[in-house]
Amino acid sequence: MITLIIIVAVVVVLVVWAVFLYNRLVRLRVEVQQGWSNIDVQLRRRYDLIPNLIESVKGYAAHERGVFQAVTEARTGAMSANGPAATGMANNALASALGGLFAVAENYPDLKASDNFLQLQTELANVEEMLAASRRYYNSTVGSYNATQTTVPSVFVAKVGDFALAEFFEEENEAARTAPQVSFDQ
Amino acid sequence: MTLQQQIRSNRWRTLLLFILFAVLIALVLGAASLAVDLPVLILIGAGMLVYGIVTWFAAGSLVATLAGATPVTREEYPELWQAVEAAAVGAGLAVTPRVYVIQDPAPNAFASGRDPKHSYVAATTGLLEIMPQRELRAVMAHEIAHVRNRDIRTMALAAVLVGVLLILSDVLLRVLVFGGGRDNQNPLALIGTVVALILAPIGAVMMQMALSRRREYQADASAAEITGDPEGMARALGILDTDTRQVRHVARATAHLYIESPLVKGKGVFGSLGGMFRTHPPMEARIAALEEAGGFMLDRESLAADMPAGVVTTVQELS
Repeated sequence: MITLIIIVAVVVVLVVWAVFLYNRLVRLRVEVQQGWSNIDVQLRRRYDLIPNLIESVKGYAAHERGVFQAVTEARTGAMSANGPAATGMANNALASALGGLFAVAENYPDLKASDNFLQLQTELANVEEMLAASRRYYNSTVGSYNATQTTVPSVFVAKVGDFALAEFFEEENEAARTAPQVSFDQ
Repeated sequence: MTLQQQIRSNRWRTLLLFILFAVLIALVLGAASLAVDLPVLILIGAGMLVYGIVTWFAAGSLVATLAGATPVTREEYPELWQAVEAAAVGAGLAVTPRVYVIQDPAPNAFASGRDPKHSYVAATTGLLEIMPQRELRAVMAHEIAHVRNRDIRTMALAAVLVGVLLILSDVLLRVLVFGGGRDNQNPLALIGTVVALILAPIGAVMMQMALSRRREYQADASAAEITGDPEGMARALGILDTDTRQVRHVARATAHLYIESPLVKGKGVFGSLGGMFRTHPPMEARIAALEEAGGFMLDRESLAADMPAGVVTTVQELS
């Protein structure tokens, strides 16, 4: 009788424990998904700004067609990329294309001084900052999600449940480095 | 400590805090029952209960009112908004807290609210004036960390409970002094009651302060994680420490909410009592903790050399 009680108690404890671990994995997965949708919002803001930016530069430097095309193509590539890793790569390409656009803009003092261009630059700098913040959060949640899946004891629960390692979102923040620092000070 | 552990430990501490205060209030009422008539006591107790419940639900806006903070739009303060939004996104908050500004030349900031969805962060105009972009982001990340770690709820509860206990002891003391007490009472019981009524609020305030000190280290560390820039946080603390100005309108009950202690620095009653009544650890200790975690050394000389214009270092007369 006593043995039976002990066995039942052990089983109950194990089940409760497994449920606890499972719930933790689910919660982390939700956090990863939320983190990714945060990044997605910022990426969309970035994609939306680019056509305006191109228009703005075109007004002063219409003949620099190569640069515009490179940026447009990189933007299309980034928008059609799937998954964090691929999106990160595509956005690296976009960032370096944008770097080229800003390098062109450097040669046109009138453009650099125009209100429209300055405003777009400020907005882009804001988006880059938010993107960097959301990337940090996303990557840290992916880190703990993946670590939980691969370490004992939660690894056993992860194997049974529907969990997969999440991809990191790596992006070299080239656009942020090449875009001139914008100051709000008057 | 991971974020989840931190939130869980905050939940436990909130409960513990609540129990401890319940015990303290029971003790105060018990001590008072030796000297005050029961109907009077029940009336006062009921009044305090109502007061506590009302202040708990009004806690968020009440703190803002006490501090003289008013909501501002993105157009008015674009840089502050951007800093708050970036920190909220970096912290993974679902809702960006509202942004408030306090018209006060002393640099300081705080966060408050009942939970992350009903929260706000407030900065003084002095902070906006002297803090460069990098350091402003760090300060806002520190406030957002308080929101995310659920510190604000614990602290709001602490403020309400301390307020209740302070008023309760005060009212009971007055009742004892100005009549309302029993006619033929034991003088020893009376003395005991008075001592209990004086000691209880002091104990409550000390508890509140001890709770708040640990949180500041945690919020500094979380802020460094949110911005990915521990040195920026350390620099911001260094600037706050250098500036000697104090925020004008601070109720003692809300002192623990600010990033830098808004109470008299160094000397004075609270300074000389040592760490017991401090709401915040010394800045040097906070900077040292960041240095250790971030693996860097804050270059104090270069920070002192390019101290932002507008930082006031002269000792002011306290009015």
